[in-house]
Amino acid sequence: MLMFSYLMATGITTGAFYGLVALGIVIVYKATEVVNLAHGELFMVGGMLAYTCYVIEGLPYVPSLLLAVAGAFVVGIITERVAYRSVLKHGLASVLVATIGVSFILKGIARYVWGGKGDYLSFPPLVSPEPLQFGNIMIMAQQLVVLVAALVVMAGLALFFKRTRAGKWMQATASNPKAALLCGLRIDRIYMYTFAVGAAVAGAAGVLMAPLTLLYPDVGFVLFIKGLAAAVLGGITSVPGAVVGGLLLGVIEQLAAGYVHSSVQDVVPFLVIMFALTFLPTGLFGVRGLRKI
Amino acid sequence: MLDVQHLSVAYGVTEVLRDVSFSVREGSVVALLGGNGSGKSTLLNALSGLIAPKGGSVRYLGEETAGLGAHQMVRRGVVQVPQGREVFADMSVSDNLELGAATRSNRKEIRNDMGDVFALFPVLRERRMRAAGSLSGGEQTQLSIGRALMARARLLLMDEPSVGLSPRMVDAVIEAILRLRQRGLTILLVEQNVGVAAAVAEQAHVLKDGVIAYAGQAKQLINNPEVLASYLGR
Ligand SMILES: Nc1ncnc2c1ncn2[C@@H]1O[C@H](COP(=O)(O)OP(=O)(O)O)[C@@H](O)[C@H]1O
Ligand SMILES: [Mg+2]
Repeated sequence: MLMFSYLMATGITTGAFYGLVALGIVIVYKATEVVNLAHGELFMVGGMLAYTCYVIEGLPYVPSLLLAVAGAFVVGIITERVAYRSVLKHGLASVLVATIGVSFILKGIARYVWGGKGDYLSFPPLVSPEPLQFGNIMIMAQQLVVLVAALVVMAGLALFFKRTRAGKWMQATASNPKAALLCGLRIDRIYMYTFAVGAAVAGAAGVLMAPLTLLYPDVGFVLFIKGLAAAVLGGITSVPGAVVGGLLLGVIEQLAAGYVHSSVQDVVPFLVIMFALTFLPTGLFGVRGLRKI
Repeated sequence: MLDVQHLSVAYGVTEVLRDVSFSVREGSVVALLGGNGSGKSTLLNALSGLIAPKGGSVRYLGEETAGLGAHQMVRRGVVQVPQGREVFADMSVSDNLELGAATRSNRKEIRNDMGDVFALFPVLRERRMRAAGSLSGGEQTQLSIGRALMARARLLLMDEPSVGLSPRMVDAVIEAILRLRQRGLTILLVEQNVGVAAAVAEQAHVLKDGVIAYAGQAKQLINNPEVLASYLGR
């Protein structure tokens, strides 16, 4: 029982975090029908920028977080320019290849700027590394911080889409680009900001996760795969689906690691992707019927 | 108000509109007829700035607007009610209406205009929290007209608003168009339903083989057997 509750607590925490990575993927996919294959690198850039601000420059944590998120936002804009807008006329396959290109460029830049320092950078924990005990459940304080912060970011995003004009414009453009044009929306700009918001979420995830993982230029890939698995499980176009998919993936992973074998943990996302694509082609929250352009 | 001269529009190498000339007087309702695939939607899309014309001129209120983007046309009051309604299906009715006002920023005016739209189409007020996709065809038509009004349309480009509606709803659409005309709106109406065109339009133009093949009084034109034959594509 103790082991089960521990695995559940860890699963939910990492799951919330996977949900956050998935959210960024879903936001971009919904609007553009493109999976940004550089999403993991945006995550990595967020973590690295936070490292520079917080560890090297000694800025307080919150400004470091905001700067890192802003930096990821800008990299998102550049990604849209380089890998989407100018490539779209050659087809979606070219866009995918271009996002892979961006991912390699970002990794290269990261190696140049943040490499050569032992390669693995460790981000100091924000809170005491002592585990907290809630009745039967033991949880690391840092995990709790990640969980709460992930929930805050998710709630913020939900409010952004529900309440703000810009959020509704993005939703409208994703749901019917022609109608959005006829409302006078400049959808090329909206695509750009959609990429940027997706990147900012990735950046936020990177900053939050940095104290729990070591930072290195290739850190993005594994987390991207997990985020993608969560997004696909949730139906790839569903915002709540991304969150639920992330939580499920986190829990499944922990239970598999705890009760089967720890080496299974990293295979789980691939199994989940295959399972979802085979048996749940529209995911848990996906909508049947594709939209028209 | 609108003066189109020698307009040509092509998709790649296929020229859909070859040499289209006609004009629309301010405050009038003009019908545009033509068989399936004759290029009616293409013409409205070119006037809306969705497609850049290949040649010719479009003058709106004295200004050359050929080649302007859709957002620029909407800001000038040229607003399309598209074929198939194209509402934002998963968003609420009031969100849809607010999106119509995306180019405007005065919150108070936008709220007032939404009140006007609700007065014109009371059913939209009742359903304002519902998802637009859950509305009936007739209600969606009203929503897409309302959305265009929210942009402060002066020239309304309507693309087959009566398609797929029950006779009762078609009457409601005719009624709405007549009320909009009374308010001083100028309307260019694409229709397959000649009854609707005859009920609301003074002038009519028939598009055929990329040019305006016939033009005249709407009521006479639709009784002209030659026109009807070409229009029905037989
Ligand atoms: N996006 C497009 N690309 C290529 N051809 C098109 C496109 N849209 C319409 N067409 C062609 O242009 C012609 C006119 O279409 P359209 O303007 O929709 O006619 P209508 O509205 O009168 O039925 C048709 O032959 C159609 O196949
Ligand atoms: Mg048409």
